[in-house]
Amino acid sequence: MKKLCLLTVFGFFAFTLAAQNVYLTKDAKINFNSSTPIEDIIAESNQATAVIDIEKNGVQFSVLTTSFKFRRALMEEHFNENYIESPKFPKATFKGKITSSMDWKSDKTTTVDVKGDLTMHGVTKEFTFQAQITPAKEKIAASATLKITPEQFNIAIPSAVREKIAKEVTLKIDASFVPYH
Amino acid sequence: MKSKSFLLFFLTSLFLIPFQAKSQDLDSLLAKSAEPQTVYATATFKSTRVVNGHSIERMKKNQLEFRVSHRFGELNTGSYNFWGLDQGTIHLALEYGLTDWLEVGIGRSTYEKTVDGFGKISLLRQSSGVSNMPIQLSYLLSTEYIGSKLNSNYTNGYSRSSYIQQILIARKFNDNLSIQLAPTYIHRNLVPTELDKNDLFSMGLGGRLKLSKRISLNIEYFYVYRANESALNSPNSGTTKYYNPLSIGVDIETGGHVFQIMLTNALAMREGGFIGKTTGSWSNAGVHLGFNISRVFSFTK
Repeated sequence: MKKLCLLTVFGFFAFTLAAQNVYLTKDAKINFNSSTPIEDIIAESNQATAVIDIEKNGVQFSVLTTSFKFRRALMEEHFNENYIESPKFPKATFKGKITSSMDWKSDKTTTVDVKGDLTMHGVTKEFTFQAQITPAKEKIAASATLKITPEQFNIAIPSAVREKIAKEVTLKIDASFVPYH
Repeated sequence: MKSKSFLLFFLTSLFLIPFQAKSQDLDSLLAKSAEPQTVYATATFKSTRVVNGHSIERMKKNQLEFRVSHRFGELNTGSYNFWGLDQGTIHLALEYGLTDWLEVGIGRSTYEKTVDGFGKISLLRQSSGVSNMPIQLSYLLSTEYIGSKLNSNYTNGYSRSSYIQQILIARKFNDNLSIQLAPTYIHRNLVPTELDKNDLFSMGLGGRLKLSKRISLNIEYFYVYRANESALNSPNSGTTKYYNPLSIGVDIETGGHVFQIMLTNALAMREGGFIGKTTGSWSNAGVHLGFNISRVFSFTK
């Protein structure tokens, strides 16, 4: 009985450690680029929140769309009011999993496949893209590039400005996760 | 045995508690980690003007706006004058955001060859979330200088000048509706007749109703408090009868431009003119067709 008791205790102790394998960041960078030769359309948010569960290989992002800063104030206003419609859909989120093998103990940069659902403007779409992950003891660095189109998310672009906005929008994500306690 | 199993239960629970606390799913962890935010109301109006008068909006820091305003003649001037389209009064302005809360501007109008300058300061921003503020409040200080030599009463620079102070109080009720109050005080150093007052008070009411993502309907009215109303209105007073300006316009937004097309009984495009000296009347089609075009240039690197 004593053995069983100890076993249970150690069993849960181990489990508790395993559950600490969650890494978090509150200042992930998301860069947004839909420039054309006519107009530079670049915005960046450094307020994205993201978590990685290195046990289950789960990854999630969340960003307030109003946190994207543009060079032109008017562009920022149009982005929020007319395109992404921040008052109605204040957040963009991603929920996914790392589907290729990942060795979290190695400190080398590994390219992995990520698959998951990207939700913005009230539309959810599944995406598969590659990400670079560099694990370290107290920090996991990750970056990824993702191409989306406004049409995929029901974002209508009037014909008058269609030529000024790139058909494909490039999203660059840069995050540096720390252990969550 | 009984005590042992109790101990087992106790120990198990002890470790289950931290386990449960830490192994919550990523969803709730993400939600919990998001910092509470203050959300500021944006785009209460699409332009820095409702129609003629200022709106609560300003140019943001390092943004320069070039405004061209144009009013045709009165509709009731008939086919000879092509219903007003033969005439044109324009106003050119450059307006710049020194900071996000302070805008300055200069302008020139063919109306009485006026030169004007103004500063608009944002004092309160409408917000919700961590900090709550139901309204937006701005203060406008403006001065106008009449350059026209047609009126010989204007003998010096002092007599040609007037000063305008305005408080702008606005609220964006929802995505589609914004309302603004604009109590205004105008001091004119020289007025045309004894019956006209040097100090003029007015209450402005403006509103914006969004019709589609890029088109909105704007209405603006200024009630002007004038004394000696009966004297002014008597046919033999020899003075001009002034009306309260009422303007109805449509804002059309295309990228870096905002087009405003309007019908208004005011000819002037600055407060001293359209609040103080509107002579057209809606009742006899003394109304002008007009437009404002705004182009914004950014100096942010």
